[in-house]
Amino acid sequence: MGRKELELKVQRFDPSVEKAPRFQRYAVPLKDGMTVLDALLYAKERLDHGIAIRFSCRMASCGSCGMKVNGRPVLACETQVADLGSSTVTVRPMDNFAIVRDLVVDLGSFFSKHAGIAPHLERKGDLQEQESPSGEYLIRPDELDSFVQFTYCIKCGLCSSACPTSSTDSLFPGPQALAQAHRFVEDPRDEANEERLDLVDKEHGVWRCHFAGTCSAVCPKGVDPALGIQLLKRHVMAARSPSRRKKAKGGGGARVFPNPNKDLVKSP
Amino acid sequence: MRESTIMQIQYVTAVFAIGLVTLHLLMQGVLVPYGDALMFQKVLSLYKDAVNGALLEILLIVVLAHGFNGLRIILLEWRQTAGWTKGVNRTALFAALVTMAYGTRTVILAATGQVS
Repeated sequence: MGRKELELKVQRFDPSVEKAPRFQRYAVPLKDGMTVLDALLYAKERLDHGIAIRFSCRMASCGSCGMKVNGRPVLACETQVADLGSSTVTVRPMDNFAIVRDLVVDLGSFFSKHAGIAPHLERKGDLQEQESPSGEYLIRPDELDSFVQFTYCIKCGLCSSACPTSSTDSLFPGPQALAQAHRFVEDPRDEANEERLDLVDKEHGVWRCHFAGTCSAVCPKGVDPALGIQLLKRHVMAARSPSRRKKAKGGGGARVFPNPNKDLVKSP
Repeated sequence: MRESTIMQIQYVTAVFAIGLVTLHLLMQGVLVPYGDALMFQKVLSLYKDAVNGALLEILLIVVLAHGFNGLRIILLEWRQTAGWTKGVNRTALFAALVTMAYGTRTVILAATGQVS
């Protein structure tokens, strides 16, 4: 009785020399605990050195090996072949990105959109403190709870690959960038809420999300970008509503423009 | 106008449209039998009723605002050049206003007995 084999169908495409993608089949011996990345690396090392793959950590931490396996965007390193329930595994590059070669896609626009929502904490009133820090900006545990899940994003691009709006609207920031915008808007240490909300309150901004929820369904880290986007919409509405803004300024109700200075703890 | 303001209008008109269409259908049964609701003279009589005429005018505005904005959103997602975005925004607003004016004219003419 022979060893069990896996049929690995890999999409091959070099846009510089080929006109259309094609599939190439490889017979890979199955092993217990084998992941799709293991199978791809077996094929690359022993059957065809030319397969282009991007990978690094092999533990769902770096977000490099995002690809479509049997039609679903996943991280190849954490996808067990046995869990797929099929003796044939079809591997394609992620949708909504330009293909560099084979399974490697160009994430340049993805990172540009991430940078476009100013993904950093911005302080306005205490330049002296920033230049010569005398303490830490502390936040309460419940404040951290309100956005901590969005900090787990590893920027793998799977959410954008699954997003129906990203497939049609090239200017749409995408689930990753919008969820990160919410992460920084929600952070009480940040003071650039108004500017950040202006960045997403545009024709091709946060309102183009139709809440299909596919981004959250494929996120390997449980970030739930769809939730972040809906909460971001609420932030935008609250910031634009005169009554909500007045209430927030008065210190009660919606926290639209939190004042983090009160949490500034000086060293003794 | 900010996109958030436009979307607020979109959500509010959606809720109003559900209520108004329901009310409109109910009033069809109150004022005339459902079976006769689309007869020409019966339709004209609906416009002459002040409450129903006002309801039709409000319904016209709500549905047109919601519909043309929905069409604008679909077209914005279709192409993404700056010219297209600007053109779609302006055309959708213009078309909504023209259709609204034409619909209002029809309501007024029918309500004042100038259509027979």
